[in-house]
Amino acid sequence: MPPLAYHALVGFIVLNVVIGMVTYVTLLERKFAARMQSRIGPYYVGPRGLLQPIADALKLMLKEDIVPARADRFIYNLAPIAFLLPCILIFATLPFAPGLGVADLNIGVLFFLAVSSLEIVGLFMGGWGSNNKYALLSAMRAVNQIISYDLPFIFAALVPVLLAGSMQMSAIVTAQHGLWFVAYPVIGQLAFVAFLVATLAAENRVPFDILEAESELVAGFRVEYSGMKFALIQLGEYAHMLGTSFLGALLFLGGWLGPGPAWLGPVWFLLKAVLIFLVVTWVRWSFVRIRVDQILGISWKLLLPATLILLMATGFVVALRGAGGA
Amino acid sequence: MADTLARSTVEIGYGGSERLTMNMGPQHPSAHGVFRAILTLEGETVVAIDAVIGYLHRCHEKLAETLTYVQYPTIASKTDYVSAMTAELAYVAAVELVGKIDVPRRAQYLRVICAELQRIASHCLWLGTWCMDMGGALGGGATIFLYAIRERELILDLFETLTGARLLYGFHQVGGTRYDIPAGWAQQCRETLAVITQRLGEYEAMLEANAFFLVRTQGVGVISRDLAEHVGVAGPLLRGSGVAYDLRTAAPYSSYEDFGVRVPVESAGDCFARYRVRMAEFRESIRLVHAALDGLPEGPISSRPGVKSVGQVRIPKGEGYSRVEGARGEVGCYLVADGGPKPYRLKWRGASFSNLAVLPHIIPGHKVADVVAIMGSVDPVFGEVDR
Amino acid sequence: MAHNGGGTTPGFWRETGQLIRAVARAMSVTFRNLFRKPVTVHYPDVQRPYPDRFRGILALAYEKDTGEEACIGCRLCEYICPPQVIKVEMLKTEKRNYAKTFTLELYSCEFCELCVQVCPTDAIIMMKSFDLAAADRRDLLLDKDRLHALGLTFEPSWATGNRLRDMQAPPKPTRAAAHGDARGEAKEPAE
Repeated sequence: MPPLAYHALVGFIVLNVVIGMVTYVTLLERKFAARMQSRIGPYYVGPRGLLQPIADALKLMLKEDIVPARADRFIYNLAPIAFLLPCILIFATLPFAPGLGVADLNIGVLFFLAVSSLEIVGLFMGGWGSNNKYALLSAMRAVNQIISYDLPFIFAALVPVLLAGSMQMSAIVTAQHGLWFVAYPVIGQLAFVAFLVATLAAENRVPFDILEAESELVAGFRVEYSGMKFALIQLGEYAHMLGTSFLGALLFLGGWLGPGPAWLGPVWFLLKAVLIFLVVTWVRWSFVRIRVDQILGISWKLLLPATLILLMATGFVVALRGAGGA
Repeated sequence: MADTLARSTVEIGYGGSERLTMNMGPQHPSAHGVFRAILTLEGETVVAIDAVIGYLHRCHEKLAETLTYVQYPTIASKTDYVSAMTAELAYVAAVELVGKIDVPRRAQYLRVICAELQRIASHCLWLGTWCMDMGGALGGGATIFLYAIRERELILDLFETLTGARLLYGFHQVGGTRYDIPAGWAQQCRETLAVITQRLGEYEAMLEANAFFLVRTQGVGVISRDLAEHVGVAGPLLRGSGVAYDLRTAAPYSSYEDFGVRVPVESAGDCFARYRVRMAEFRESIRLVHAALDGLPEGPISSRPGVKSVGQVRIPKGEGYSRVEGARGEVGCYLVADGGPKPYRLKWRGASFSNLAVLPHIIPGHKVADVVAIMGSVDPVFGEVDR
Repeated sequence: MAHNGGGTTPGFWRETGQLIRAVARAMSVTFRNLFRKPVTVHYPDVQRPYPDRFRGILALAYEKDTGEEACIGCRLCEYICPPQVIKVEMLKTEKRNYAKTFTLELYSCEFCELCVQVCPTDAIIMMKSFDLAAADRRDLLLDKDRLHALGLTFEPSWATGNRLRDMQAPPKPTRAAAHGDARGEAKEPAE
């Protein structure tokens, strides 16, 4: 099979699998959150609610598409796509098993981090194009927050890169054969915690979800979107969430490494990513949110210096290890 | 202090310089009802707030002139519908004051039990909605909201066993109460209170030492003692600013003097202080219900025969003002009677109406996110504000 | 949170420690609730047990001994209803009076139970169910036949006019024995 067709086919399969996973991960979050709140989640659609995401998707497809009268139509219509594209594109670099992935770039981590930050553009387009003060306010807050937290996010993600010595994702996983990076003394745990906190903020999850803040800004930059455009934005958000969970599982929790035969690898990978996702969900449903100036304060005054120092310490450790002839 | 804006017209738009006039409209997830706040923002800071109320006006005071003293208590519960028992009590106490009607001791104790249970239920709702405003309907706030509603439902079950209704009871009548406690209710009540006491500990564990919660509430929305006394707020707002004034001790009604109510007071005046006052009121109310159940005297529950006809209560000419300590402050009812079965004039003092007056003094200078935190800690119910 | 990033002041570590402990405590509460049984009642597959005094849908009852309609058309309920949803027309016969027509607008009813309270013959009662959703408001305009049918469909609640009035002004001992009303509370006669 010509390589272009082969890669297109693999990309197509991965895309569909990812979209399917993302819709079902919304159901997982709703059931998990419901159990934490002494209630059951979606229950009636399908056996135990398993068809709920499909029902939601169908409903959104059938909804009327309302465009505000004075919205900037071009930007307004383009925003969901500009938001969704980077969020799906990051899955292209993830290897689900040795050799099983769309493109295992040797700058994989760099590509992932760079592209995942591009969602801000789509977000701001949505906020601006909606011609709605709430949306604008939220988009401005979002730009502030995501830019501020992308730096600690990148630094925290660079710690495993340093420890593994390569930006290629499969190389990072193979470097964790003996010891997962999260188990590295001190550096690993701190980097993992910093990664989780930065993920919470970069995903606009409570306690950092000032961007949407339903009780103040009623869905933030999404407020004027309905129907399929809203579905695309939701898809993008959860895809980004899942993508960073996969990244965290890969960088810190050993990716596809796990007991059992080799074909079990992707299953382990999925389980670890879902575990990170559940931890983030658990945090989300336990805390009230903090104000935007406090969020920025945490990022610039606490998290950025901390991750910077952590990165320097990791470099020091790696240099020592290299000098020790390992 | 608030900038002086031209009050005649408020334009929604860009108000010149970098000011943005934004409408936190009557339809809003955290408006606590229907409340319109026109905020003037400079960046993220609120510079002025113009509060517009009246979206829930239902002509209670005029309605009271067309309904008799027997019919109106069920309607009175709809002013402060979250805390219906105290609303009914205010009206019925006014009628009894003007008509010089005695209330038997058992009825007074039952009124105390119901008022304090209602206070617990109302504070459960307050805690849930406040945390939901601060934490998002899809987030940690919703978790605390669902826990608090779970506890409130237990109390509503108690009220359902007592009266048959869960929200708007019609429990009070002129001269006493309409229902007596059924067999087994006291035991059920004690068990419910034990559960609630334990769950209160869980809420405090989730919130008290939580840095996220503390930064959102400490130092936010400070009502100074002078301001509180000057504007005329009441209830937890007043007690959170250092004034130890509670109608249950200052002007006891319905045999509250038998119980030795301990009034919780905090001096900081910020949202956290009001939170602590209400959490202390939770525990105090639980103690009061236990004490009232223990000391419940035998006897009739009404000093009048049962309600048999619509015009059976006639109050001679007179006027009077009765006040009760509702969950939100002083709920007052001024009644002018003219000798017939219907009042000549009824005036409600809504606790939330007076409490809202403090908003233009404390909100300017805070960020938009603080507006919801402050609104939640003021805890308005718009049935009381608009009547 | 005044954090001086990276500084090694004792305040910083203590605050961080407090933050970690507070976070752990909050998350442990939600985690504990993960394993509690949900409080959801799977209505309508599962019905919640309603208390005896539940104020549900209104209905007209028949007399227990004779099986005749209990309503005598006295209109006391019509006069006391605060939103005035009841309309009654009396039909006079030699032996007793009946209600010729009896309409109750359930869509405006407050469910305050005042009509039940005043009824001298325990004719109008409330049921232990609220299950009467309709797609058309006219389905909730209950006429006499509908009210009687509802009385036979659902379980009646404990409260009837005489019982409520007896609770407010306890009867003399002889009357209590005649009604056979034992609720387990010792009451002295009203002063």
